Amino acid sequence: MVTRRNFLSTSIRVGSATVGSLALRPFGLLPALAQNGSNYRALVCVFLFGGNDSNNTVVPMDSSFSAYTSLRGSLALSSTELTAAISSASGPPIAFHGKLPELASLYGSKELAVVANVGPLVQPLTQTQYKNQQAAIPLNLFSHSDQQLAWQTSIAQGHSPTGWAGRAADYISQSGVNSSGFPAFVSLAGNAVEGTGASTQPVAIGPGQSLQLTGFSSSSESQTRLNALTGLIADGSGVALVQAADDVLANSISDANALSSALAKATKLNTTFPNTSLGAQLQQVAQIIQVQSYLGMSRQIFFCSLGGFDTHANELPTLNTLYPQLSAALAAFYSATQELGVAQNVTTFTESDFSRTFQPTTAGGSDHAWGSHHLVLGGAVQGGKIYGSFPTFQLGGPDDTDVRGRWIPTISIEQYGATLSSWFGIPASALAAVFPNLANFASSNLGFLG
Amino acid sequence: MSARAAARFLDQSSWGPTPSSIAELQSRGIDNWLAEQFAMNTSDLPDQEILTSAGISNNNLAPVQAAFFQNAVSEPDQLRQRVAFILSQIWVVSATSGVSPAYAYPPYWRIFRDNAFGNYRDVIKAVTLSPAMGRYLNMANNNKGNASLGTSPNENYARELMQLFTLGLTQLHLDGTPVLDANNNPIPTYDQSVVTNMARLLTGWTYPTAPGTAAKNNNPAYYFGQMFAVNADHDTTSKTIVGNVKVSASQSAEQDLESLLDALMAQPTMAPFISQQLIQHLVTSNPSPAYIQRVAQVFQDDGTGTAGNLQAVITAILTDPEARAGDASASAITPTFGHLREPILFMANVLRGLSATVAATNSVAGTASNLGENLFYAPSVFSYFSPQSRTAKGLYGPEFQIYSTQTAALRANAVNTLIYGTLGGVKLDLSPFTALAGNSSQLLDYIAQVFLHGSMSTQLESAAMSAMNAVSAPVTKAQAALYIVLTSSEYQIVQ
Repeated sequence: MVTRRNFLSTSIRVGSATVGSLALRPFGLLPALAQNGSNYRALVCVFLFGGNDSNNTVVPMDSSFSAYTSLRGSLALSSTELTAAISSASGPPIAFHGKLPELASLYGSKELAVVANVGPLVQPLTQTQYKNQQAAIPLNLFSHSDQQLAWQTSIAQGHSPTGWAGRAADYISQSGVNSSGFPAFVSLAGNAVEGTGASTQPVAIGPGQSLQLTGFSSSSESQTRLNALTGLIADGSGVALVQAADDVLANSISDANALSSALAKATKLNTTFPNTSLGAQLQQVAQIIQVQSYLGMSRQIFFCSLGGFDTHANELPTLNTLYPQLSAALAAFYSATQELGVAQNVTTFTESDFSRTFQPTTAGGSDHAWGSHHLVLGGAVQGGKIYGSFPTFQLGGPDDTDVRGRWIPTISIEQYGATLSSWFGIPASALAAVFPNLANFASSNLGFLG
Repeated sequence: MSARAAARFLDQSSWGPTPSSIAELQSRGIDNWLAEQFAMNTSDLPDQEILTSAGISNNNLAPVQAAFFQNAVSEPDQLRQRVAFILSQIWVVSATSGVSPAYAYPPYWRIFRDNAFGNYRDVIKAVTLSPAMGRYLNMANNNKGNASLGTSPNENYARELMQLFTLGLTQLHLDGTPVLDANNNPIPTYDQSVVTNMARLLTGWTYPTAPGTAAKNNNPAYYFGQMFAVNADHDTTSKTIVGNVKVSASQSAEQDLESLLDALMAQPTMAPFISQQLIQHLVTSNPSPAYIQRVAQVFQDDGTGTAGNLQAVITAILTDPEARAGDASASAITPTFGHLREPILFMANVLRGLSATVAATNSVAGTASNLGENLFYAPSVFSYFSPQSRTAKGLYGPEFQIYSTQTAALRANAVNTLIYGTLGGVKLDLSPFTALAGNSSQLLDYIAQVFLHGSMSTQLESAAMSAMNAVSAPVTKAQAALYIVLTSSEYQIVQ
């Protein structure tokens, strides 16, 4: 039977690492990070669940447009369904899907960049290597669950229990740059492997929802009952899953206290957010960024999501519904960072399971594919440029895995994540611990953050 | 059998033990109780209007959700309901980015109710031909490829049928461990060419023809009845499908489907893949390989040479020594045994334990949704949580995927609402607890009997005691003790 232990303050957050594993110190001795309020930096991930057909997010407006039009068939956007072409500081001129007008405008004003054909890779991969299985191929390509994990963990060979942002957050917490024990990773979309580290456990909050326990007053009866609840959690249990559930509730209580006292300092933003799920998530992120100093945070990573992108059929009407939500919410969030004076300090980026086949299905949709185009937004972004290159629009062509236009990526998630993380404050010496495959690639910085 | 043994069995086989169901199982014994449950089929969900009075699609699932919880709390076919719900979490159809009309859901759910103790092959076939799944994973109106238009049939159902509903991604031994190749790598159950070929095999099905309309090759969505084949839209070329089975050319859509069902049922990976998930939902997140193997053997052959007999599989799961270890004493339970109550199970369990009366209109589903599990609204075909999901310390803990800092607090707050407030359409009867409040030890014993199989840790006992001792009226004592027990992690984990 479990013996009662001394009361352990539930203000101590429970992480997944034991003292023993923390002692491994995967990052070695940490260089000092400059730390002051003006040095605040945040990464904001917007995960597009289901696999966004990025072939229709941005379209190169060069000689490839005729191949786009003929091969995409029923999915091809006409010039009236696209924004006007915008010239790129490097790369071809592009047009955005016509339901992404705010994002097109931000590309034009060089606050948004496009990273082309990025995806899970263990190492650079030629078509010959892929077809003949001559090099490491990412595990379970084209499977939603596995490719979501590949994006969130960055480890394309699979089986990683930790996410890349969680490992980055481990570094941040061990560097001591954040002055409180509040988690550096905050999810507005439930538990996320992306933010799980060796010692980092994400805090999940709902937009507009408090984590506070309800039903307690200051009466002594009430406080006795609350103490009974928290004391029970602190007792610990010899039953593994009971202890696991206790750990979650202990973190919840501890985070609730930190969050509610900080958010009490928040003032209403003038920026109007769209009344959508993603709008509400990003509004909550903006409010937390507003009170970051009260939370003791100078480095934070946020995770938001928008679902519904698994468009095997009826793709055009579906994207016509989803893209306005994405565009308006991202634009509002960027405006809010400007209002808060932190536009230079916050970088927002997209992730998704995979892109989709260039060739359409008989039902006006597209199937699971691989490399996809992603968006990076913020005041620090060297925008208005294409980073990487669009694949050759040819079924069975040089970039295709087969004959349906499932593009082999030419940029790895690890390069994408390392570029974001370097700007965020992970030094070159620590990048290999966050991105274990990074050394396989020629460049660890794609340059979209200077 | 002891009251403890009966309560444990009922926590694994029903929506939750009650004093009367414990007594009933004690008097009948497990074999008779199971036989009665296998024969019973009393629950239904109410069919819904297709259109609202305004003539638009009726997407209001609230009456169906409310009836689901009425059934869970009150209808006697408890094991059938539990198994049906589990099957519906494997074979997901969802109103999130999917099937919106409410009338699609009762007929779809009846597939699992009526086949809960039937054969898995029949489940595969019935779901494959159901218009709800046809819409959700785009098999309805999935016409053969058109070379002149440069199109291919979509791969959605073909892929998920294998990945999620029958086989998983990698080949498994009967005990659930992966089959490895010479280089110690797992062996995939299929590759992309199999997905492409199966997508072609599954072409040529359309929605049932709505009454009063003319049948078309590509009917509009209609959710009563089964899909039917339109062979003009079926790809009749030969295909090589899962298990390297060659399906010859010129077969009809119906013949191709039978070939596919045969090929799937012949895959040895199906038995451990499905058995493990059923065990995880009913009994424990971390079953031993030997437990999985014992159940998977029954899945492969029920003793009469038949594979996929779910009644035999469920019996094997619930009567296995690993499930029953601990019936005599909590000390016989291994530290990694058990599973977290998912929100829907949590709500049903609390309500049954508190002798709730649930009205035809009720807010139970809304609370479960707040806690991360919105009935009929799974976030994707990957359901509410993955069988592969792990706890922070690396154990399997599927339900932990939706147990976050947010939903853990909301779960405690749901207990607060139930015990100290009111939940719409729910009337609790706390009198059995209040009646014992004059004797704190007796009250805690009774709470333990209803909610913890008669066994409460000393820590939980002293926490509940301290909360009780701070109040004096019988009702407030009962409330304080119930609050502490129902918010405890010891209760959240079914051991």
